[in-house]
Amino acid sequence: MTTPLLSIRDLRTWFYTESGVARAVDGVSFDIGAGETLGLVGESGSGKSVTALSILRLIQPPGRIESGSVIEFDGKDIVTLGDAEIRNIRGNRISMIFQEPMSALNPVFTVGDQVAEVARVHAGVSRKEAWDRAVEMLALTGIPDAESRAKQYPHQLSGGMRQRVLIAMALMMKPALVIADEPTTALDVTIQAQILDLLVDLQKKIGTSILMITHDLGVIAETASRVIVMYAGEVVEQAEVDSLFAKPHHPYTEGLMHSMPHIGHDQERLNVIPGTVPAPTEWPSGCRFRERCPYSWDRCETEHPPLYQIGEDHVSRCHLAIEPERRNHPHPPVVVEAGVAAA
Amino acid sequence: MNGTEPLVSVRNLKKEFPIRKGVLSRQVGAVKAVNDVSFDVARGETLGVVGESGCGKTTTGRAILRLIEPTSGEISFEGRDVRSMGTSELRALRREMQIIFQDPVSSLNPRMSIGAIIREGLTIHKLAEGAAADARVSQLLQEVGLRPEYSNRYPHEFSGGQRQRIGIARALSVEPKFIVCDEPVSALDVSVQAQVINLLEDLQRDHDLTYMFIAHDLSVVEHIADRVAVMYLGKIVELATADDLYREPLMPYTQALLSAVPVADPKARKERILLQGDVPSPANPPSGCVFHPRCHHPAKDAACAAIVPPLEEKTPGHFVACIKQPPTTVSWEQQKEAGGVHPPERYLPLAAVHA
Amino acid sequence: MPWQTQDFAGNTAPMRLRESPLGLALRRVLRKRSSRVAFFVLGVILLMGLLAPLIAPYDPAAQPDIVFLKSLPPSFAHPFGTDPYSRDVLSRVIYGARLSLMIGVLATIVSLTFGVAYGAIAGYAGGALDAVMMRVLDAFLSIPRLLLLIGVLVAWPRYSVGALVLFLGLTGWFGLSRIVRGQVLALKHAEFVTAAQALGASRRRILWRHLLPNLVSPIVVAATLGVAHVIVLEAGLAYLGIGVPSPSASWGNIIYDGADQPATLWWMSLFPGLFMVLTVMTLNILAEALSEAHERR
Repeated sequence: MTTPLLSIRDLRTWFYTESGVARAVDGVSFDIGAGETLGLVGESGSGKSVTALSILRLIQPPGRIESGSVIEFDGKDIVTLGDAEIRNIRGNRISMIFQEPMSALNPVFTVGDQVAEVARVHAGVSRKEAWDRAVEMLALTGIPDAESRAKQYPHQLSGGMRQRVLIAMALMMKPALVIADEPTTALDVTIQAQILDLLVDLQKKIGTSILMITHDLGVIAETASRVIVMYAGEVVEQAEVDSLFAKPHHPYTEGLMHSMPHIGHDQERLNVIPGTVPAPTEWPSGCRFRERCPYSWDRCETEHPPLYQIGEDHVSRCHLAIEPERRNHPHPPVVVEAGVAAA
Repeated sequence: MNGTEPLVSVRNLKKEFPIRKGVLSRQVGAVKAVNDVSFDVARGETLGVVGESGCGKTTTGRAILRLIEPTSGEISFEGRDVRSMGTSELRALRREMQIIFQDPVSSLNPRMSIGAIIREGLTIHKLAEGAAADARVSQLLQEVGLRPEYSNRYPHEFSGGQRQRIGIARALSVEPKFIVCDEPVSALDVSVQAQVINLLEDLQRDHDLTYMFIAHDLSVVEHIADRVAVMYLGKIVELATADDLYREPLMPYTQALLSAVPVADPKARKERILLQGDVPSPANPPSGCVFHPRCHHPAKDAACAAIVPPLEEKTPGHFVACIKQPPTTVSWEQQKEAGGVHPPERYLPLAAVHA
Repeated sequence: MPWQTQDFAGNTAPMRLRESPLGLALRRVLRKRSSRVAFFVLGVILLMGLLAPLIAPYDPAAQPDIVFLKSLPPSFAHPFGTDPYSRDVLSRVIYGARLSLMIGVLATIVSLTFGVAYGAIAGYAGGALDAVMMRVLDAFLSIPRLLLLIGVLVAWPRYSVGALVLFLGLTGWFGLSRIVRGQVLALKHAEFVTAAQALGASRRRILWRHLLPNLVSPIVVAATLGVAHVIVLEAGLAYLGIGVPSPSASWGNIIYDGADQPATLWWMSLFPGLFMVLTVMTLNILAEALSEAHERR
């Protein structure tokens, strides 16, 4: 792509806990282009949320960004910026929408105040001007009667409304990038539809890029143009959304897609990825997915797979890229063999 | 579905929560969490109950078990009246009707080993003691796919999916006939959901169980349920077999719900029915049909705001609460009297149907 | 299709060493250096009290020579000096450890029993009973503990150590019952309690098996602080002359005996005071560590 908006290289964020060092993000690299929606898919323990927090340097002890860089389009590395400079970026050039709207909003201030504050802090405008802009933004996010709603407190609004407020706050300064961390997971499905629609719509109007982080492949299919799949702290697959769904390469992606029930596809039993995600304090050697993988062989235990290029815009962290015939010889995963309960 | 008598029968169930204000906590209103709900669950079937937050599905599940006391209505289990049972009779009933919870973290006592958690039912109902109880616990653990050697470990040492299995083992320990599954997979990762769903299906087959499966994820419900009830603001608005519901949703709310589910296929960019506004508060439900303010049916009119639609059979086995979807027992004359201007017409938008 | 419907997908890799909630908390407490030191010091003092008959150089009540051996400053023969009755202060301090700690622990046990019972019943019963019980509690709480004790003990002509323990215990449970009630109110609605109800558990079973075990943490913390508090309280009462009846050796009594001439008889305040401070400090450090260990679940 042309100069990307954000270039993340070899990011490692580790947490120093009492049970050991949890390498939540362990060597993640990707680009985000201008005006695109990049989907980041993963389940709990994949490191996707920690990646998002790392981009904005919101990691608290016992975690820290060990190494790596997050280069902005004007060349500066976010990881090494000073405090004042990073505050200038947050909410202004890069903003974030969180999963739980209730915890992200301050219960003792009106929603109008909280949205207006973004403008006061970053644009330095007067109270009145900031308030007007806030009401305008709230109306843009589809809140009916924004003028009076702005004077209400978070607890007086429904979940969907609060999420709209968060979106308004995130878009106030027309940032170059919005990181949406599971923005609709806590919402009802009809409200989710409204919010996703809104995000897509606003993106077109304002031209911002969106990093859409979610575990829901359906949301990804509907909103993203490119997708990154994370597992065990690493990127395991990256592709255009059409290619990913048509021909997933990495066994984890494949397994994920096959384990979702689809409305209209009648299935006797659901397909399953056996076992559980390994603990971030003890990533397995070689390929981190090998114990749950039906294709793994000895190479997978000894060699940690790099990201292989398997198509024009398609990479996958799997040795099947160089030994594709192994896909024809599936076997019960290691974890099932080891874990069968003794009679 | 064997036998003609339903295993569980619910008629006109209502649960209201009083709203109190003021220093003396006077009751100023009520939240009608469950508002006149009736249905049967046949032996061996899985009845899915879907709806969004505030629709009353969880309250219904708990009210059937009398974990929440219903305000009014009838509940019968195998023909016996549940509401009139005394303490000891109810306790005996607890062996036959069990529940699995949504949150794997808060539903297990952090201070009890998982073996003790599973053994509790055996102790309360004097089903087994000592070595026999331990053997049964081991057997249950194996059955849900966990290693019996870990029975002396504590819940925090297990993952979410594993904890959910422990909860399932606990429910099974008393050998119930009927289990209310209250959003059992909602809090789990997608790949783990499939494991637990398969497990629930296996157990149903092996132990001849009947499920009431409450969830908000429509794809999961379609997979596991035989029949599905759709709830909105405390009422059942549609009740049909899973096939019928997903191929031909007749209630406008169901149509919107189905069209809102994101499809994991980028090529299937479909049109969507977007509902306006938010779910109204159950303390102040709309008059007439509770869904009418947000309804997109082309024949919607003033009659919808005046008449409470009965849940009636539109095609065999398919019940819908909408006076605008024919056939309906609410005659056109009655509707006109209430201010109706559009006669009922069949409306089934493509966007709602999942081929 | 490789993604077939595997049946077994649960526990696979061997788990680490077992960690019961209690063990986990203990481990966390002992991780801090301050806790380890506190544990050690407290252990020494406890041991001192336990082995008092074996390690005290003299009989703490013996008054060998009331003329020549009285009020001697610390020396080789009497490392902590002697008191106005020619009793060896070191021996009295050692026996003091025994008595003061015993009073502290026993009184706290009494407080715990009442406090937990009262708070748990009020919290679990809820409704009108809870409201009534709390108002009664408020009445009790409005009376300062020290004043109450002074009032009772001054009026009582002769009381035994046992009676003192009882009074101390009976005046110290109010705050704890508040804490317990709050916790029970919160726990009552926990899902695992609903689960127990669904299994058919009786209210008694829920109280004993589900609610109380989850109260252990705040109770232990309150108990630790309670012991410290009682030790200080007893010393205060002794200073006012209404502590443990003489000639028993409690730290407070020793201070009292030398209270007429605190400057000249400095060893009579310093040594028991030192031990008191050490005990109270270590107990506080441990209580704080325990409470932190509980927070960070």
